[in-house]
Amino acid sequence: MKFIHIADVHLGAKPDKDKPWAEERKNHGWQAFTQVIATAEEEQADLLLIAGDLFHRQPLQRELKEVNYQFSRLSHTQVVLIAGNHDFISPDSYYRTFQWEENVHFLKKETIEYVELPMLRTRVYGLSYWHKELPKPLYENIRVEEGSFFNILLAHGGDEKHIPFRAESFQKMGFDYVACGHIHKPVQLIENRVVMAGALQPVDCNDTGTHGFFMGELSKERCHVEFQPLTYCEYTTMNLKVTSDITTGALEDFVKQKLSQAPEYMIFKVILTGFFDGSAPLETERLEKLEQVIQVVNQCQPDYDFERLKQQYAQQLIGKYIGAMEQLPQDEVTKLALYYGVEALLEK
Amino acid sequence: MKITELQINNFGKLHQKKIQPQPGLNIVYGDNESGKSTLHQFITGMMFGMEKQRGKSGKNDSYQQYEPWNSSSYYTGSMRFEVDGKDFLIERNFYHKEKTAALRNEGDGEELSVSHGDMEMLLGGMKKSTYENTYCIRQAAVETGKEFSGILQNYFVNASHTGDGDINLTGAREKLKAKQKEMERSYRKAWEERRSACEKLQLAQDIAKKDLQQLEQQLEQLKAEGYQSEELWQPEEEIPMENEANQMAELLQQEQGERKEIKFRRRKSIAAVVTLIAAVAAGSRLAGKGLSAGMSPLFTVEMLLVIAGIAGIFYFRKKENEVRSESRAREESRNLREQQTDNTGQERAKKQAVVHMLKMQKMEKCSLLANLEEEIAETGKKSEREQELERQVAACELALNMLGKISENVYEDTREHLEGEISKILYSLTDGKYERITLDDDMNLVVYQDGRNLYPWQLSRGTMEQMYLALRLGAGRFFTQEEPLPILLDEAFASFDEKRLKSTLKWLAAQPEQIFLFTCQKRELEILACSGIPYGKILLQNT
Repeated sequence: MKFIHIADVHLGAKPDKDKPWAEERKNHGWQAFTQVIATAEEEQADLLLIAGDLFHRQPLQRELKEVNYQFSRLSHTQVVLIAGNHDFISPDSYYRTFQWEENVHFLKKETIEYVELPMLRTRVYGLSYWHKELPKPLYENIRVEEGSFFNILLAHGGDEKHIPFRAESFQKMGFDYVACGHIHKPVQLIENRVVMAGALQPVDCNDTGTHGFFMGELSKERCHVEFQPLTYCEYTTMNLKVTSDITTGALEDFVKQKLSQAPEYMIFKVILTGFFDGSAPLETERLEKLEQVIQVVNQCQPDYDFERLKQQYAQQLIGKYIGAMEQLPQDEVTKLALYYGVEALLEK
Repeated sequence: MKITELQINNFGKLHQKKIQPQPGLNIVYGDNESGKSTLHQFITGMMFGMEKQRGKSGKNDSYQQYEPWNSSSYYTGSMRFEVDGKDFLIERNFYHKEKTAALRNEGDGEELSVSHGDMEMLLGGMKKSTYENTYCIRQAAVETGKEFSGILQNYFVNASHTGDGDINLTGAREKLKAKQKEMERSYRKAWEERRSACEKLQLAQDIAKKDLQQLEQQLEQLKAEGYQSEELWQPEEEIPMENEANQMAELLQQEQGERKEIKFRRRKSIAAVVTLIAAVAAGSRLAGKGLSAGMSPLFTVEMLLVIAGIAGIFYFRKKENEVRSESRAREESRNLREQQTDNTGQERAKKQAVVHMLKMQKMEKCSLLANLEEEIAETGKKSEREQELERQVAACELALNMLGKISENVYEDTREHLEGEISKILYSLTDGKYERITLDDDMNLVVYQDGRNLYPWQLSRGTMEQMYLALRLGAGRFFTQEEPLPILLDEAFASFDEKRLKSTLKWLAAQPEQIFLFTCQKRELEILACSGIPYGKILLQNT
């Protein structure tokens, strides 16, 4: 049996709201989803598993209709889906009344149920979120029906507030495959067995790295899945180590050059580390205005040798200032304040 | 530092003059206009240099005041001095176009560089402004105590705290404040952008809420009219149709009617058959027996039967017709009723559809509202950039507070230290009359006497001058990191009575500093000559 496993499509999300490419990013979810449908049709997949958060928020009627239309294009594939914490079934949710295509099976109960697909000799288990948060370990001790059927679980969650679970426990229950969702980073929790699909496409700039879906083959002998990347958008970090002789202009040119070499779908989070000239801080605002740059995190330290300054000016204000700052609990604000104060005192 | 020789080539009204002061107390005596102030300026000029100020405001500065009238290019002099037991010679040309300064260690002949700060080092790091406000005590300055306290205060803030005049606390604080303001501006901008985005969402939310209200009102109204569609979302089990039971009853009724009709029809037939048989029997009897048969009792029975049969036929036919018309009427009424329900049913169905549609719309609005609410909540959170800016603003605040606190601490330490120095001097100057002198927050001197705090202007002029002398000497000693510099006293004791002057001079002569006392009176010289205190005499005469 051939299957496709997706999760966290987050249709309707609006990533990078304040950026010039926001409009483009809004469509990526739909484009990726449509591509998955096309792939399912092309490959004549038997089963499409959607492990929650198909929508970013409460689905509107037209959105459900669009999704249903996409499902209707599938000539062979059976679709099983659940609602996740983002598109949870609220009292007024359209999910409650929506009439799906015949090949679509929506497990909308808030307790574990299963749909039996006799043609595929498969049962797909799952439940839907009826609340935003669900801190109960509902995936523990699921009783799997005996027999020759394949048993698949759609599991959404895995953190403290969203049905915590351990991948190992699924194995004991006897599932042939567990299609997980919720965590946006794709990872095979147990190889070919318990798989977190990850977001189909990144939802915000913290979803760095490759995203896509899993395509699998399940037989009585074995299960094998393979990751299929989709590249409508990918967030990457650009780690730059700065030395104190680098000017803002030079840094900008360097970043520009790096960007010109990168594929167009990539969006960068620039992280600056190292040291900068304390008397001429870098202006990172300019970098933030570059295309393909979503954020600049400046973790550079001023190139002051505080220890030396403290000794050099031991009896004077600078020395006392450094000493006093060192007495405080060291957090980001203290560190910044140490730098700001010394910078101001040393400046002519 | 001790000045051992002053060579004035040309400086104001002094020309080609060589002076060799004593290491201790020196009296510079001369009438007014004899050049005492000139010598005073020459000494400070030799130590710290002399800058020609730019622009019109420079008209009365020291440079122009002492620039010789006859040959401005010959505006030079030299000074021999001793620091830490070593002899040095500094030669300066003050003329601004040929300004030079040469410094030499006369012991080993090493050439030192004034521009590289070697002279500054020999002066123990003291700045000209500090010197002029401490060691260099001028008559005019004594009287402007307020100004001095300002200078002292400023000096504390800017120089003594940092121990280095180059580090400017006030400047640093201003810089930090400017930085903080800038960051606050950026933060506010980001915050306002977010707020306006939030407001837009809230506007959309308000509209959606109103729409929802309207939908709910319409639904309420329809409900009041008796229209209430089934819940959109029901548990799976089916509820049986409401009028199904009625239909069954009707069907039953119809069947009953039909059965009655058949019964009557059957009875009618029986009656007809009985009539027919009786009639035939009676007829055949008539035909066979003639009229006599008519008299037979059987015939009578037969005739009665015929009559009863005919009556039965009529009765049952009537009954049958009755039942039939009854059922027909029933059918008609049913048809009529059905027709009627068809009309009202259509109307009803339409309204029901409206209710359904409104309910769907309500759901859509609810979803939309929930989404908006979520988005508003998300937008309500501070962005990473805002948090970063907030941290930066907080860091500025912390830096400012810490600088304030430390400088206050240092200020306190410094003040106590300085007060100690001054008190010691005042104690010996006044033979123990005043033993504790303090500085208040405005840097005013306060002495404690007979349980009262007294300010200098509440004391006699002589005492006041003693106090200022103590203050300046104390401050001078306090601020000098190494050897004390020469003290220049300009007419400082004019208001002292003889007794006080004598004790002051005696005290001064015993101090480690080299002292130049400028005076236009002979009093000092006379007292010193009488009391046998060693001193140097420098006489300036009008030329």
